Amino acid sequence: MPKYEYHRPKTLDDALELVAAREGARCIAGGTELLVRFRKGTAEPPPALVSLRSVEELRRIDVSETIRIGAAVTVAEVAAHEEIRALLPALANAARSLGCVQIRNTATIGGNLANASPCADTAPPLLVYDASLVLRSRAATREVPFSEFTRGPGSTCLASDEILTEIKIKRPGSGLRSEYSRKGRVKMDLAIASLATAFRIEDQILSGVRVAAGAVGEVPLRLLRTEEILEGESLCAGLIGQAADQAAMEVRPISDIRSSAGYRRSLVRVFLSRHLRSCLAGAEREG
Amino acid sequence: MTGFRHIGKPAQRPEGNDKATGKALYIHDLSRPGMLYGKIKFSEHAHARIVKIDTSRAERLPGVRAVLTGANTPEIRVGFLRDNVALKRDRVLQYRDEVAAVAAIDPETAARAVELIDVEYEPLPGVFSPEEALAEGAPILHEKLPNGRPRQNNKLELTFDHASGDLEAGKRAAKFVAEGEYSTPLIQQSCMGTAGCIAEFDGNHNLTVWAKTQIPFLAQRDFNGALAAMGLKGKRVRVIVPTLGGGFGTGLDTHCYEYITILLAQKTGRPVKIVYDREEEFAYLSPRQSARTMVRQGCDEKGRLTFREVEAVLDNGAYTSWGATYPSIMLLPATSLYKVPNVRFKAQLVYTNNTYCQAMRGYGNPEVTWPIESTLDDLAEKAGLDALEIRRINCNEPGELTPMGLKITTCGLRQCLETAAEKIGWSAKRRQGRKAARGVGLASLVHVGGGGKIYRSDGSGIILKIDDYGAVNVSYGGVEMGQGLHTVLRQAVAESLGVLPESVVINQTDTATCPWDVGTHASRGAYMACNAAILAASKIRGKLFTLAAEVLPEEVERRFKRKERKDPGFQRPAVDPAAFGNPEDLELADGMMFLKQDPGFTIEFGRVLRAIHFRDAGTVLTEEAFFEPKTDLPDWSKGYGNMSENYAYGTQAVEVEVDRETGEVKILRVVAVHDVGRVLNPVTLKGQMYGALAQGIGYALYEKVLTKRGKILNPGFTDYKIPTAGEFDFPIELAFVETNDPAGPFGAKGVGESGMVPTAPAIGNAIFDAVGVRVNDLPITPEKLLLAIEAKRRQDEGGA
Amino acid sequence: MKVDLEFELNGHTVEASVDPWARLIDLIRGPLGLTGTKEGCGEGECGACTVIVDGRTVNSCLYPALEVTGKRVTTIEGLQSADGGLSPVQKAFVEGGGIQCGFCTPGMILSATALLERNPDPDDEEIREALVGNLCRCTGYVQIFEAIKTAAASMRQAGRETA
Repeated sequence: MPKYEYHRPKTLDDALELVAAREGARCIAGGTELLVRFRKGTAEPPPALVSLRSVEELRRIDVSETIRIGAAVTVAEVAAHEEIRALLPALANAARSLGCVQIRNTATIGGNLANASPCADTAPPLLVYDASLVLRSRAATREVPFSEFTRGPGSTCLASDEILTEIKIKRPGSGLRSEYSRKGRVKMDLAIASLATAFRIEDQILSGVRVAAGAVGEVPLRLLRTEEILEGESLCAGLIGQAADQAAMEVRPISDIRSSAGYRRSLVRVFLSRHLRSCLAGAEREG
Repeated sequence: MTGFRHIGKPAQRPEGNDKATGKALYIHDLSRPGMLYGKIKFSEHAHARIVKIDTSRAERLPGVRAVLTGANTPEIRVGFLRDNVALKRDRVLQYRDEVAAVAAIDPETAARAVELIDVEYEPLPGVFSPEEALAEGAPILHEKLPNGRPRQNNKLELTFDHASGDLEAGKRAAKFVAEGEYSTPLIQQSCMGTAGCIAEFDGNHNLTVWAKTQIPFLAQRDFNGALAAMGLKGKRVRVIVPTLGGGFGTGLDTHCYEYITILLAQKTGRPVKIVYDREEEFAYLSPRQSARTMVRQGCDEKGRLTFREVEAVLDNGAYTSWGATYPSIMLLPATSLYKVPNVRFKAQLVYTNNTYCQAMRGYGNPEVTWPIESTLDDLAEKAGLDALEIRRINCNEPGELTPMGLKITTCGLRQCLETAAEKIGWSAKRRQGRKAARGVGLASLVHVGGGGKIYRSDGSGIILKIDDYGAVNVSYGGVEMGQGLHTVLRQAVAESLGVLPESVVINQTDTATCPWDVGTHASRGAYMACNAAILAASKIRGKLFTLAAEVLPEEVERRFKRKERKDPGFQRPAVDPAAFGNPEDLELADGMMFLKQDPGFTIEFGRVLRAIHFRDAGTVLTEEAFFEPKTDLPDWSKGYGNMSENYAYGTQAVEVEVDRETGEVKILRVVAVHDVGRVLNPVTLKGQMYGALAQGIGYALYEKVLTKRGKILNPGFTDYKIPTAGEFDFPIELAFVETNDPAGPFGAKGVGESGMVPTAPAIGNAIFDAVGVRVNDLPITPEKLLLAIEAKRRQDEGGA
Repeated sequence: MKVDLEFELNGHTVEASVDPWARLIDLIRGPLGLTGTKEGCGEGECGACTVIVDGRTVNSCLYPALEVTGKRVTTIEGLQSADGGLSPVQKAFVEGGGIQCGFCTPGMILSATALLERNPDPDDEEIREALVGNLCRCTGYVQIFEAIKTAAASMRQAGRETA
C-alpha cells in the first residue's frame, strides 16, 4: 500500500502554498490514473499529495469570448455542459467517450492533460481548438499553448511548484466544424487511436484546418502537413484520399498489446476521411 | 404432460435478496478470529533452477508469522497426474510457479514480506509452443515419467484417439472436401469474484477449508492427501463453500494456493486466508487452454458427409490439470455433430513453459466446433449447397448411435436449425448482403446433457430433512455459483415432494453435512440435483403417506371435535376421517395434504408432521438419495463410450455488418435456439443462455490472454477485454425446443455450457457471408479481419 | 498518522479515522464493516466497488476516503424502499434474473439507481452507457437491461400514484 500525506486545500492560494512548501509534493485531482499507478507500483508516490478537488476556483466553467474550464472540472461536467457541447463538440464528445460514468464522475480535465498520456481523450480536441493552459505558481502565472505543454509520455512543462489551473479556448465563431473519433477494443477502453479535426468550409474551400491525433505518438500530435494539404483547398474525394494518406503517414504510432502500429495508421486514415467525407456529403446535400 | 405446479415457472432465486442487498458472503467477506493473511512469492522466470532462497529479511519483518519454501515444507503433489508440487524446490517451470509464501497479521505486511524474499535463479532455456517443445534438443521439462523412468520428450502420456469406420473409403466416397487449420486462444474465465480460501485447524488437527471451489468433495479428497503428506494422516478435512463470485470452471481442480494456505495454517496454528487480487487471478490462476485444430471433412455429391478427420495440438503448459482433458470433450463434436461415418480423431498434448490450464465452460467443445462448423460452410460452398441445407442433410436424429458410441435418446437439432434459420431470416438474407457487407451465418452444437462421466462416479447425493412445520432443508453437495442451481433445486423439491418453493431451504454446501457429489461441471448441476431430488422425494412420500395414514383418521376426528366444541354452529365437512387411513388415497401438494378423491378438504402439512412426531414412538422425516446416471466412463484411447444420459443440441444464427475500412464487426442480431429437454425455469434458463452467449461473443471477437516467452502481458481488465454492457446493442432472441427427455428430471437436459459452444463459428460464418473472408484464429479482431479483407481485395484486383 | 473525517453514510452521520492514503473501499469494508461493496479489480475497470457520492457513482477503489468528508455516501446497504423492503431496482433485479453470481450486483444496482434518479425513463442506449463501467461475466447483461426498464416503469407508476 503506497503511503503519503493527503492535503485538501480549499483555496488555490492554499494549494500553491502547499506545493511550494512541501518538498516533492504533487497535485492530484480525480486520481483515477495516478492512484492506480501508485498501487501497481508503476509510479512512485510522492511524500505528499495535494488534492485540488475542493478548490472551488478550479471547478468553474466560464463561457464568454474566451471559454475557461477549471482544471478540477470533472470530465462528466465537461461532457454534459450545454455550451461546451454546442461550441466545442469535439471536446464534449471526447469527454463523453472517456472511460465510464464512474470514471468521468471522478476524473478531471486537468488531470487528463497533466498525466500526459499519449491516448488522453481530451487532448486532440484541445489541440484543434488551439487551447492554452494557465499554469500558476506562488510567484507567477503563465499561459502556454497546449501544443507546448506535453513533453512526452507522462511528462509536461509544469514546474514542481506550478499548478495547472485552467484551460482557455477562444470562443469559436460560427461555422467552425469540429469532430472527434476514437476507437477502443470494447466500449470501455483507452483509445487505441483517436483523431480530432476542426475547420471552416465555405464554397467547398477549407480554411483554419486543424488535425490532431491521439495514441499514435509519444504525445498527442498536431498533423501539420496534413493540415497544409487541406488548407485553402477545395474539398473533393481526391483531396480527402490524399490528406488521409498523409495523416496515416504523418502519425508515429508504436505496436503494443493494444494494437499494431499499422492498424493505428489505418484508423487515422479512416477517421480523417470520414470526417471530411461527411462534410462533403453534407455540402453536396445542401448544394 | 405439463401439469407442473412449480417446474417451468419463473421461481425466484433463494439467495436473490441477499445478493441484491449486499448480504451474501463471498470468500472476500469472510474472516475468522485470529486470522492471518497469506501471500505467495511467484517465480520470476519461465524456466530456471532455484539456486538459493533467502527468507531472512522477510522473517525479521514485524508482523510476519511464517515464511515457507519448498525446502522447509513437506512435498504436496498436485494435479491428476501429480506432476506439480505446492511449493517448488529445485526448479521453476512457469512464471506462476510458487517458490515461497508468508503469513502475516495483515495483507500489507504479507505483501511487504514477499518483496523481502530473495530468490537466486539460474535461468534455463524455455519452450513456449508445442513446436518448440517437440523440437530436437528441446529441454525436457519433467524429467521422469509417472512410472519413474526418464522421459524422452515433452509429450504427455495421455492418449485421446478415435478411429471408426473406414477413413480411406470415406475419403474415396467424398466428392468435395473442405479443410482448414483453426486456432482458439488462451482466455481467462474472468469471474468477478477472484479466487481464495481460508484454512483453519481445530484443536484435534482436523482441517476446515472455506474454498471457492466447484468440487468440494474431490477437494476434500485432495486435501486429505495433503494432510497425509504433512504427517496428519487420518485427520479429517471439511470443505465449506461460501457464495461464489462466479465459477466457469476455475473451481474444477484444487490449486497450489489452497495447499499453501493449509501449510501456513498448520505452521502458524492460526486460520490463514489467501485471496487473489485481479492481477494474481489473471497471472497465477489457470485459464482456458488454447488449441490448434486441423479439420478435414468431405461429402458426396448429395451433400452427405462421408468422413471427418480432426487433429488437435494443445499447449498443456508446465503442469497438468483439466486442460489436459480437453480432447475428451473434443471427441463429442468431432464424432457426433451431424451424422458422419468414418471418423479419425487424434490429439496431442505437449508440456511447455507456459501457464498450465484449467476448465472453462464447455471446454474442448467450442475449440473443435469452431473449425468443424467453419469448414462445413466451406464444404457446402464447394458442393454448391446452401449452408443450412448441408446441415439438414446430415442432421442428427433420435435413436442414433454415433461413432463415439453416444446413444442419442432425444434430439431437437432439426427443429433448432429450422427455427434459427427462420428467425434470422435465412432465405431472404443469406448471400444477399455482400454489397452492404452484411451477412448471416449459423452453427450448431452437441454437448453432454445428462451428466458427463469423467470420474469413477458421476453421482450426486441429496438429503431432505423436514421439520415440524413443513419446511424442507436440503443438503446437496453441488455448488451454486450463480447459475441458478439452488433455484431449480428448490422448484424440483417443491414439485416432487408437494410443498411450496418458499418452504424449501437449500443449506450451505459443506462436505460435513452434504452427501457426496462429483462436482458442478459438464452442465450437470441442475440435471443431477433435480434427479436426486426426485428420488429422495419419492422415498419420503412413500414413508410420509404410510405414517400419515396411521395418524390422520384420529387427527382429523380430533380436529372436527375441537371445532365443534369451540363453535356450536360448526358443520362437519362431508369427509369421513377414516378415509385418511389409506396411504394410497393421500396426496400432498403445495404444502397441503388431502384425499385424492376429495381435494377440497385440506390439512396443512405441518399439522400432519406434528401428528407423526408427537405421539408414542413418533418420528421425524429425513431421507437421502444418491443418483448415479446410467452412463459409461469412456475408453479415451479408443474415444468410445456413452458418457452422458442424453445430449443437448442447439443452433445459433447471427447477422453481422462488417466495416470494410476498420475491420470492425457489428452484430446486428443473434438468435439462439436450444434443445433443453424441458424448461425448468425460464428466467434462470435465459440467464444461462444470455451469459454463455456473451462469453461466446467475447471468445469470438475480443478475448485473449497475451503472452511473451511465458509471461502474461495483460493481467487485468485494462488490457484483457471482456464484453461490457456497451457491446450488447443488438437484439438476442432465444427459443427453446422441449424434447422431454425420458432420463431428464421432468424431461430436462443440462444446458449450462451449450450457449457458448457455437457462437464463434456462427459469427465467423456470418462474416464470411458478409465479406467473403475468414479469420481462422480467434478472436476475430478488427485488425485481423481488416488484413484479411485487404488481402482479398488485392487478390481480387490482381485476378481481375 | 490517522486523520479524522465525518460524512453521511446511508443516511447516518459517521465519524472515522483513516490513514491519509486509505481508499473509500478500505474504510467501508474495513472499519465500517459494510462488505456489500465488492472489490473486483482495484483499478476502476470493473465497477464492483461502485458507490454513490453526492448523487454520482464513483469507483470506491479509486476514491480517497478523505474525499468523502462532508459528503453523502450511499452503499448497497443504504438502498431500500419506503416500507423497508427492497428498492424498486433491487426488486426488479431479483425478479427479472438480473442477478447470477451476485458479485457485480451491488455496483450494478447502484449504477442503475443513480441513472434512474437522473433519468426516470432512459432508453436502451442510455442504459448501456450507464452500465459500461460495471462488468458482469454471468448474465450477458440482457436481463439487467430488462430489470432496469421494469424498475423505471414501476417507479414512474409509483410517482404518478403519489402525485
